Amino acid sequence: MRRVGPLVLPFTALWGFFWLAPFWIGLDIALSTPGASGFKDLSFAQFERVLNDPKFLHSLENTTVYVLGTVLVTLGVSFFLALSLSGMGRMVRSVCLFLLLIPGFALPGSLATLFYLFFHGKSGALNQFIVIPLGFEPVNWMMDPAWILPCLVMQAVWRWTGLVTLVLYCGICAIPKWQFEVAQIEGVSAWYRVRTIFFPGIRHLLLFAGVFLAVDGVAAFSGAYNLLGGSGGVLDSGLLFVTYAYQVAFPGGSGRFDLPMASAGCVLVASATAFGAWFILWVQRQRDNRI
Amino acid sequence: MIGLVNRMLTGLIVLAASYPFVWMLASSFKTNREIYQPGKFLPDSLDPFAYRLLFSGELFDFSAVLVRSILLSAGQAVLACFLTAATGFALAKGTFRGKSLLFGAALLIILYPKQAMSLALFEWLARLGITGNYYGLLFSGVSSGLGVIFFTQVFRKIPDELIDLARLEGQSLTLLFFTLLPLVMPAFLTYGILHFFLSWQEHLLPLLVLGKEQLTLPLVLAKLGDSSYRIPEAAGLAAGVLAIVPFILLFGYFFRRIRTALSDWVVS
Repeated sequence: MRRVGPLVLPFTALWGFFWLAPFWIGLDIALSTPGASGFKDLSFAQFERVLNDPKFLHSLENTTVYVLGTVLVTLGVSFFLALSLSGMGRMVRSVCLFLLLIPGFALPGSLATLFYLFFHGKSGALNQFIVIPLGFEPVNWMMDPAWILPCLVMQAVWRWTGLVTLVLYCGICAIPKWQFEVAQIEGVSAWYRVRTIFFPGIRHLLLFAGVFLAVDGVAAFSGAYNLLGGSGGVLDSGLLFVTYAYQVAFPGGSGRFDLPMASAGCVLVASATAFGAWFILWVQRQRDNRI
Repeated sequence: MIGLVNRMLTGLIVLAASYPFVWMLASSFKTNREIYQPGKFLPDSLDPFAYRLLFSGELFDFSAVLVRSILLSAGQAVLACFLTAATGFALAKGTFRGKSLLFGAALLIILYPKQAMSLALFEWLARLGITGNYYGLLFSGVSSGLGVIFFTQVFRKIPDELIDLARLEGQSLTLLFFTLLPLVMPAFLTYGILHFFLSWQEHLLPLLVLGKEQLTLPLVLAKLGDSSYRIPEAAGLAAGVLAIVPFILLFGYFFRRIRTALSDWVVS
């Protein structure tokens, strides 16, 4: 064994101080009873309270739809783009990849301003350029409860598609060339190549990107906060989980200052997400080991 | 035929991704009235009144906020690069007790939604009395799980012979890490830029931890959005342009190296 202390200690110390300690504090607060704190008074009352809060359940429902929408659409569009770009010339491909990455640079604040102006009532660009020319009635994107969540999904898809496309494209470049040569000799169809070469070749990256997007989706805050001004929008139709936790814990929304209940919600949701994500990766690893 | 349709669709998506930013740049010169006419792409005049307003300090001290945000994000990125690269190197090339545990800790940071931890982190920092200053914010983002996993893969590609040679010469693993750093500079740069962007966009923790006089750019932009009925929309858009253009240039300059480093990482 060689001495690795100086290499790993700084990271481990900071992890302990800024991850493990807050995790413990969060758990401690969540397990406390009003008027007391610490594991001496171990109680699941806060968990019970949060699970009985309809607003919490509503935020979970919204977050699930948001995560599913973001992951499925982003992965689908990025997969298509990566495939399409891999067949293009080098110069065009580089320019396209770079342009696709631009939304990822934007600060959530400016992204929200942009989207606000794009979604803005009848005069917004989305209505003017797409909805009205197609012969539909203009949609009140930010005021219609049915459209608020799709707007948030669109914002997330727009932000992440470039980065995911870049990663998938790099994965496609790593697929051995002989596979394409064999497919060409065999004269297989484009769809068959997608199914048997491209998709298995970047399956791991799709899974990794999916898990990353899902975890980021559960933790989504700034996009919704900026677009909806810290609220959940009309009828809380855009209320995501972290916004809910923020509203419960701090005076930003309802001003409840109920940190124990917010902590209980955070511990529940974050732990379930981490476990779910780990389980997916673990299943994939087991499957790979069998192969 | 399918190829043509694919290319057209790709072109449309690329246009949809980049058009809003060109529009944002053009609209940062527009009046509110012009902005709410989506058919109007170019401004009537190129009067940079919104930029003047920003730098006049009438709304807030934009220059100070910009410099503060850059320093915070850059400081965090540099620290994160060194710390996570060192840990990644130890995981890739070292043999020590608790190696799996450390890797598990890094994975846990990625899989546990960060924003859900912010409330507890705020409470912890408040108990320690270090809210209202930059240190809590700066150091809390340094221990990045993504960085550790990334650098572990990067260092795995370094031949073991180099490690054996260093061992024969009696060099410590720590010294070897610094000796090998130039070899992984593209990966170092790539992760640094990625971490910078993630830190640059951080919203919830700065909102909780920083005082009113210490706000970072994302928070100030959100505040500008809140009060948009009182100030020209162009001011928010101009701030957005100023916040993004230098980094597009930086990313553009290093784009090839970043792509190469990402490709290497993906392959490993």
